[in-house]
Amino acid sequence: MHKWENKEVAFFGKITAGITHEMKNVLAIIKESSGLMEDIMSISPEAVISYQEKFQNSLAKIKNQIKRGVELTDRLNKFAHSSDEAVSKIDLHEAIEQLIAISQRFAGLKNVVLKSASSNQSVQPTILVTHPVQLQMALFAAVECCLHAMPDGGVIHIGFDKSKAKNAVHVFCEGDLPGKSEFVDNLSAFEKWPVLQKIAAFLEGSVEIDESADGIVLFLPEQLGS
Amino acid sequence: MKILLVDDEEEFVTTLAERLELRGIQAMAATDGEAALGLIETDPPQIVILDVMMPGLGGIEVLKRIKAQTPQIPVILLTGRGSTQEGMEGMKLGAADYLMKPINIEELIKKIQVSIKSQG
Repeated sequence: MHKWENKEVAFFGKITAGITHEMKNVLAIIKESSGLMEDIMSISPEAVISYQEKFQNSLAKIKNQIKRGVELTDRLNKFAHSSDEAVSKIDLHEAIEQLIAISQRFAGLKNVVLKSASSNQSVQPTILVTHPVQLQMALFAAVECCLHAMPDGGVIHIGFDKSKAKNAVHVFCEGDLPGKSEFVDNLSAFEKWPVLQKIAAFLEGSVEIDESADGIVLFLPEQLGS
Repeated sequence: MKILLVDDEEEFVTTLAERLELRGIQAMAATDGEAALGLIETDPPQIVILDVMMPGLGGIEVLKRIKAQTPQIPVILLTGRGSTQEGMEGMKLGAADYLMKPINIEELIKKIQVSIKSQG
C-alpha cells in the first residue's frame, strides 16, 4: 500500500463522517417540521387555519434545511472528487474556501469559527499544480493543530499570501490565546504537528509556526518538481 | 409529563418540543450542555433527551454530570452516528436508552414512557 493511503483514507473518513452527521441533522429537522404539519392537519382541516403561523414556520424550516442539505451535498461531492487525479491544477482560494466549508463543523465543536483571510487575491496568481488530496489534508491538519493549541472560542483565519515571493498559506488564531511560548509548545507537542510536516514535505513545501501571528504558515511551491 | 430536550440544532429541538406539546407532553428545550444542567437544577424534568455531539460541553459529559448530581433522572441519548456503538457506550455510562437521528416521535414517546416507568 502506498505510504499515504492509510492517512488519506482516515482523512476522507473523518470529513465524510462529519458532513453525513450534519446531513442527519438536516433530515431530522425536515422530518420534525413536516411531522408537525402532519400533526396539525390530523387534528382537523380547520386546524390548519388556526395553526397557520406554526404551519408557515414549519414550511420555512423545511425550505432552509433543504438549502442546507443541498450545500452540504455539494461540498461532499467536491471533496470526493478531489481524489480524481493524483496531481492537478488547484485554485488555492477555492481550496481554502472548500477547507473552511468542510472543517467548520469540527471547529464548531470547540466554538471556533473559521474565516477566509485571503489577501492580494485580485493581483496574485493562485493556481498551484499539486496533489489535491494532500493539499486538503495539509490545510485540515493545520486547522486541527490550531484548534488543539487554542482554547475554546475564537476565530481561525485562513489566508493566502504571495508577497514574500513564496506561496504561503497562513492559518492563524484569534481569541483568548495562551502565552506565545505555551501556544508554541501546545502546537509542536500535538500529534498532528509531525503529520502536517510530513504532508508539507510530500507537497515539496514546508511548515512553520508563525509565533508573531499565533498560527501556522504553510509554504508551497507553485508547481511540483519546480 | 415534563421532559427536557437538549440539542445544539435549535430548529430540531423547538419543532420536536412543539410536536410533543401537541401530544400533551410538557417539553423544555436547551441548545447547549450548560443551559441543560442549569434547567435541571432550577426546574427538574422527569427525563432528559440528550444529543451526544454538541459544541462545548458534549452530551457524554452532560450525561456523566446528570448521573453524578441527579441520578434519578433518566437520560435518553440521541446519536447522529449510523451505528449503535455510541448509544451502547452511553448506556454503559448510565443512559436509560438511545435513539438514532432522524428519530421517530412515536418511538421516542414509547422509550420515554418505558424509561420513566422503570425509574419509578
